[in-house]
Amino acid sequence: MENLKINQQVITDEDIKKVSWRWIMASQITWNYEKMMAPGYFYAMLPVLRKLYTKEDELKDMMHNHLQFFNTTPHMGGFILGIDMATEESEGIKGKEAVNGIKTGLMGPFAGVGDTIVGVLIGTIFGSIAAYMGVNGNPTGVVLWMVVQALLMVGRYFTVGMSYKQGMKMVTSTRDRLNAITQAATLLGITVVGALIASVIRVNVAASFVSGEVTVAGQDVLDQIMPKLLPVLLVAGVYTLLGKKNMTSTKAILIVMVVSIILYAIGFLA
Amino acid sequence: MQIQFWQILLLTFLAFFGICENLMTNICAGQPVIIGTIAGIIMGDMTTGLVVGATLQLLMLGIGTYGGASIPDYMTGSIVGTVFAITSGQGAEFGIALAVPVGLLMVQLDILARFSNVFFQNRIEKAVDKLDFKAIARNTWMGALPWGLSRAIPVFLMLIFGSDLVDLIIKYLPDWLMGGLSVAGGLLPAVGIAILLRYLPTKDYISYLMIGFFLAAYLAVPMVGVAIIGLALAIISFKQSGAQSQNVVAVNGNSGQEDLVDGEFED
Repeated sequence: MENLKINQQVITDEDIKKVSWRWIMASQITWNYEKMMAPGYFYAMLPVLRKLYTKEDELKDMMHNHLQFFNTTPHMGGFILGIDMATEESEGIKGKEAVNGIKTGLMGPFAGVGDTIVGVLIGTIFGSIAAYMGVNGNPTGVVLWMVVQALLMVGRYFTVGMSYKQGMKMVTSTRDRLNAITQAATLLGITVVGALIASVIRVNVAASFVSGEVTVAGQDVLDQIMPKLLPVLLVAGVYTLLGKKNMTSTKAILIVMVVSIILYAIGFLA
Repeated sequence: MQIQFWQILLLTFLAFFGICENLMTNICAGQPVIIGTIAGIIMGDMTTGLVVGATLQLLMLGIGTYGGASIPDYMTGSIVGTVFAITSGQGAEFGIALAVPVGLLMVQLDILARFSNVFFQNRIEKAVDKLDFKAIARNTWMGALPWGLSRAIPVFLMLIFGSDLVDLIIKYLPDWLMGGLSVAGGLLPAVGIAILLRYLPTKDYISYLMIGFFLAAYLAVPMVGVAIIGLALAIISFKQSGAQSQNVVAVNGNSGQEDLVDGEFED
């Protein structure tokens, strides 16, 4: 892969910009159940394809080739596009098999790492901060999250060019580094979620214990055992519930709503 | 408070924009806490939108459409919930209670939009045969219509016809139901957190969950403070795993290429 660019370089920085921008804007807009991101990938590659394949039958062949099933994390697809461009530039139509191998070989692993980092972890960490501040009426967390998302988009813009210029080696090392980052970010995310349990779940016990002359508020008794005891039990309960067969998150939401109404009606919670 | 027609139009546009922006530049990212805040600004009461959005956000932390799975559309829910929380004067909790079923029902329309785009995919394939590049571009961008309209049309209809229904609900809603839904608004974040913990490798990292809980429950450390400690722990872990993987590379030489094909991750 090192001496890929024996052929004359025809892809310019302008083309890379075009591909990057098209991938950001169109990668998911034609997402469909049949071929998922295929039309988006194809549309992003189109300027390069038109430049590389001057014969009509070759162009059509490669256009159809890029309309085959493709799906990955949108933030990671740029890496694959860059490698693909470099390969097609040097190999031409002969590189068709190699290109398909690269696309199908990379999209799964990149989706695994990308969904975890961009979706689960950034969503957990900054979503927690935004929601925690938000329930108290403070919009700072919302702005912070939007800034982070904007930075991600800017970074994403440069992935196509980076992987086009540095090739497969960079993609492999990036993926290794991303695995280490995933681990570290998971740890951070789970720490934040631990704090979230203690801060955003509102449970007020209205019931009180009466023994003889003395009335003790139920909430005080619970607080003496452990602060935020009920939120912990609630999360643990729903966590266990979700592990049951045939349990969906929608069912869990409905169960919690019904239980809330019952506990309010009998005067246990307020 | 009565909703103005220009507000309905703006909110309908927000629903269209919200989903498309999520698929494109991804800055608002279709997240209820962000979209709810914008809906609140349009309605002239940002805080209510923020609180409705933030509570719905807790129901879908870290959850995305991975591999094309449909998830409850609390983004659309946050728009509708914010509007009726403000127009009915019943407050954020009422809005949340309305937004949850809206978000759950909207899943069906998400599926419809994803299905409808097969039509444009076919048109693009036909355009390739004719080398009609204009048609390729047109049909690619038309893909925004199923996405946007599947959110905008229901929001428009709910805002036009919903207020009578909401008035009716408020008039006949018994106290036990109203109060119960308000209690539910406080408890529901627990469901979102539990779903998230099912996603994450919680059992391997349970000690960090306890650290985070301890800091917030016993020491009342605010969220950003907890995030700083989490970040410190993350850096330690990153450095340690970096040292480990260097050893592995030294042993294995450079065999990175093969494992790209059979990566350990599944989409």
